Amino acid sequence: MEDTRLVTGAGTFAADWNVPGQFHGYFVRSDRAHAEIVAVNVEQALKHAGVKAVVTGADAVRAGYVKPLHTLNFPGKGGMQTRAPERPVLAHTGVHFVGEAVALVVAESAEAAQDAAELVEVRYRDLPAVVSPEEALAPGAPQLHENVPGNLALEAEVGDAAAVEAAFARAAHVTRLKVEVTRVAPNPMEPRAYIAAYDARADSYMLHVCCQGITTLRRHLSAYTGVPEEKLHFEVGDVGGGFGQRTPAYPEHGALMLAARQTGRPVRWVSTRAEGIACDTHGRANVIDGALALDGDGRFTAMRLDWVNDMGAYLSPASMGHIRNTSTCMTGVYRIPALYATYRVALTNTNPVSSYRGAGRPDIAYAVERLVSQAAVDLKMDAAELRRRNFIPREAFPYKTPTGSTYENADLLGLLDKALKLADWKGYTKRRAQTERAGKLRGIGIATVIENTGAGQAPKDEVELELDARGTVTIYTVSKSQGHGHETTLAMIVADALELPLERVRVRQCALEKQQLVGGHTGGSRTTVGAGSVCHLAAKKLIEHGRPAAALELGVEPSQVEYAKGEYRSKESKRAVKLGDIARAKPVSVIAEGKFGSTFPNGCHIAEVEIDPGTGAAAIASYCAVDDIGTVINHSVVEGQLHGGVAQGAGQILGEKVVYDRGSGQLLTGSFMDYYMPRAGLLPPIRGAEHPTPSTVSPLGVKGVGESGCTGSLPAVANAVMDALAPLGVGHIDMPLTPAKLWHAIHSARKSG
Amino acid sequence: MAKVTIKVNGKNYTKAVEDRMLLVDFLRDELKLTGTHVGCDTSQCGCCTVHIDGRAVKSCSMLVAQANGTSIVTIEGMAKGGKLHPIQRAFSECHGLQCGFCTPGMIMATAGLLKDNPNPTDEQIYKGLEGNLCRCTGYINIVKAVKMSAKLLRGKAR
Amino acid sequence: MYSLSYVKAKSLKEAAAFLAKNPEAKLLAGGMTMIPTLKQRLARPTHIVDIAALPELRGIAAKGGRLVIGAGTKHHDVATSAVVRKAIPALAGLAAQIGDPQVRNRGTIGGSLANNDPAADYPAAVLGLGATVVTTQRSIAADDFFQGLFATALEEGEVIVRVEFPLPKRAAYSKFHHPASGYAMAGVFIAQTAGGVRVAVTGAGPGVFRWTAAEAALAESFKPAALEGLPLDASGLNDDIHADREYRANLVRVMAKRALAKISGKK
Repeated sequence: MEDTRLVTGAGTFAADWNVPGQFHGYFVRSDRAHAEIVAVNVEQALKHAGVKAVVTGADAVRAGYVKPLHTLNFPGKGGMQTRAPERPVLAHTGVHFVGEAVALVVAESAEAAQDAAELVEVRYRDLPAVVSPEEALAPGAPQLHENVPGNLALEAEVGDAAAVEAAFARAAHVTRLKVEVTRVAPNPMEPRAYIAAYDARADSYMLHVCCQGITTLRRHLSAYTGVPEEKLHFEVGDVGGGFGQRTPAYPEHGALMLAARQTGRPVRWVSTRAEGIACDTHGRANVIDGALALDGDGRFTAMRLDWVNDMGAYLSPASMGHIRNTSTCMTGVYRIPALYATYRVALTNTNPVSSYRGAGRPDIAYAVERLVSQAAVDLKMDAAELRRRNFIPREAFPYKTPTGSTYENADLLGLLDKALKLADWKGYTKRRAQTERAGKLRGIGIATVIENTGAGQAPKDEVELELDARGTVTIYTVSKSQGHGHETTLAMIVADALELPLERVRVRQCALEKQQLVGGHTGGSRTTVGAGSVCHLAAKKLIEHGRPAAALELGVEPSQVEYAKGEYRSKESKRAVKLGDIARAKPVSVIAEGKFGSTFPNGCHIAEVEIDPGTGAAAIASYCAVDDIGTVINHSVVEGQLHGGVAQGAGQILGEKVVYDRGSGQLLTGSFMDYYMPRAGLLPPIRGAEHPTPSTVSPLGVKGVGESGCTGSLPAVANAVMDALAPLGVGHIDMPLTPAKLWHAIHSARKSG
Repeated sequence: MAKVTIKVNGKNYTKAVEDRMLLVDFLRDELKLTGTHVGCDTSQCGCCTVHIDGRAVKSCSMLVAQANGTSIVTIEGMAKGGKLHPIQRAFSECHGLQCGFCTPGMIMATAGLLKDNPNPTDEQIYKGLEGNLCRCTGYINIVKAVKMSAKLLRGKAR
Repeated sequence: MYSLSYVKAKSLKEAAAFLAKNPEAKLLAGGMTMIPTLKQRLARPTHIVDIAALPELRGIAAKGGRLVIGAGTKHHDVATSAVVRKAIPALAGLAAQIGDPQVRNRGTIGGSLANNDPAADYPAAVLGLGATVVTTQRSIAADDFFQGLFATALEEGEVIVRVEFPLPKRAAYSKFHHPASGYAMAGVFIAQTAGGVRVAVTGAGPGVFRWTAAEAALAESFKPAALEGLPLDASGLNDDIHADREYRANLVRVMAKRALAKISGKK
């Protein structure tokens, strides 16, 4: 439904907004990783033609815009409370990563603001920087914040340490693997752009933003600035990708609010890609030291994982997934009786880390699936067979995991068998031989994964349906598509329930006049599960709502009225009342709500890679994905979500990584010249299949799909590359598996072999 | 200031602009043709692709002054009389877009590719889209859309 | 971008005169490097002098055993020219691998050479074929033209007019693309010319260079095996987050072998 607008260039993205009387903002950003701010001199900048104001950290502190919300709000080890550093929306006493905003220059034109920004003098006193989380936690490391001793923001644990220790003592075999899930830049194609306007009479703000839904952003921003939620209004148009990165409140929101208030004019800011890579939250950035214990029959008996989570210089408001989501599905699709994990949340002189497509789910899937495949190598077992032996059996669902989650249902054996067949697992040896004849290496990798989706942090989801006299139904939701096709999917759900043609249903997301609706943002693969389910309930409610009026018009009792295909009828009366007729006098509106727990989509992905030993370049030769995402509303939208997720995961394995210089803390991958982005041809057409076991958690039977692709592809592609190298005696290599890294591995294996 | 006369989507415009103004800013800010997007600073993403005198170029990597006297087609000039261009149709039908931000550039790059090679192989499509980034689709349905576009355009030519 | 003045030159002479009068002015051809550089405020010229459309810089012709390409010729035109494809197919193939289609529709051979990016493709062909760079002032042999990282023999105000390529007996180019930028991580151009075998390497070092050991070995035996175990000093090669010296040295060897295989018609 959204396509026509988007293929004709008629979409309205954030940088397409302009408002009358607007000024333009340009941020002065730190050129160093760690320093004390001695002085900020704005005199020369203020004298520059067209400059209206220069907002600094002093203004931020004066306004009290200093304490961002963080979501690591659960007790840590021994009751430890999270130590959260303050972060004025413009740095005041010190800077802690390259790119941190120090001042905001406001001028009549964007060019004038940028010209003047060069005239802002910031005097720094340099401090040593630390960019590796493990080094940051080590004794003697440079300290970032006074209230975060040892750069340790939180230490947490889950599971039963004693039981795990006992199981490891009894184990017939233990596989150990330390893996890194690298720091990546989500890089939605649309750079951020905001306009903040202040209404002095109402003492309220209007913000034009690109976001994933206004409710979470509003909550974050209100907490950050102290401006009450009801004084924050948002205008959102098309959003050019998000992947979690567009969820939280950013310092830039607050700084622009300060500038708007100070100048009395709307202030517009459009980010560059360089700012985006340096300052929009990064994703992943976890180091996991894992061990898996097995008995003599190859059955898993215990797992232990020790995490170091790199959160960057400050805690982002949307970083809880690193711990919550990684512990929710910690045992994956396996029956593992004993489990223990520790988390050490580290602060480093780098850009803050937050949710990125999967938000911890791909990380845990990668850690577990690499361990399982490594165990198969250690035991010289078929990787699929080892998985089959340890799956949670179908009859065990609903299955309560050792960390307390309840997986509603899954058919893991069915899923595996379908995937093995689709991928022609048995015929692999032949393909490998063929590849070897061409002078290349070939590997096959499998991953069977499960993840939590749908729940979110909102108390409930509300959806409003408005019916007009023409029988057109408008859906109002506070979630926001960033390419998810909500205008299609949600409309289909309502059209289906009301038995109306799709053209009669419209979707309005985050509409200004409906921002009081309660609900989650779009993130954590939750919109179809949450808002989508409520759309279904709302449509049913609308039918019921119209029944008495229809009965009156038909001259029968409401119980005698039946609804079908957009009409109320009764057997007693030959007449029909059209749905639109009940809105003849005035539009009819119903609000429905619902709260659903987590759903657990699961899948089996199988990848094959070919590696050119001369250059080390790996290419994905085939990719199969069988997914159980419950009932599917729109197959094409779902397939698209999977494709995109698989590509992001494959991109991370084969090339993406944000790199900071170890000594200086400078960002070395600051543009697309150095930050690898997947291009056309990374993936061959994916052979996919659905294997639905409808969810029992949501009324539609749906499970979330937005993150399934990368949760499966990170381990599947990595396992395939490792499989290709295993015959050479190459052990685990951390992502990204770049040509240079693979060539070195192959070269040294051949030299020593 | 530079005075430029440029034909955009069939219409002539004469404007005085700052010498340093980029073509993409001229299209977006002066002509309000905001379908041409900016996704990077280093000429990699291709979101800003337009056609100048029939060839696909990145409008973020040239000054409007350099385009003086040329004829430009942007995404807004592709649909004719309310009817989608076959490439636009193919992108929609193949679900070759998600967020839609890269889509105008992808469509313009596709038009350029198919002009030079009306029946490209997968490999040729990969090469032809080297200058365009998409973060949502994994490119699979984009490649599908390019193939369908090729088919539609060949059918039209016949 | 800093404020600047745009000047469209009507002739080479005018452009040269303007440059002489304005020492901080810069030439602009396709602008594929210049404009992004200006956008990032990495350069601050007072003027940019657009020479892209000058008829004096146009044209592709094969005459007298030489292929002559005007400096303003776009990569796309070189890649698709029937004349180039017939005279030096490896050169057309190289041009087809530069950047991406949009870049090839704007970027010019003269601009690429004057910029002399250490990872650009054209320098490998010009050096590998032993071409002559003809400027407004003189003819410069390729061996003298390239002087390391973004440095050339061009004097202030000197403008490249055309490049003259002697026709080789056989030639091929093999390139390993930088995974992010698409530039050459290593590109090797090999040509069998009247004056002997030439092997030019781009992307791997701080500037395009000739791999003389390979040239000598291939002069003896024009076969991939001749490259085995040849010395290639890695110490001068680039070392960055994408590839260290040892890997780049390997790439040079592998690309050289693949270029040779192309020449001998094997894939």
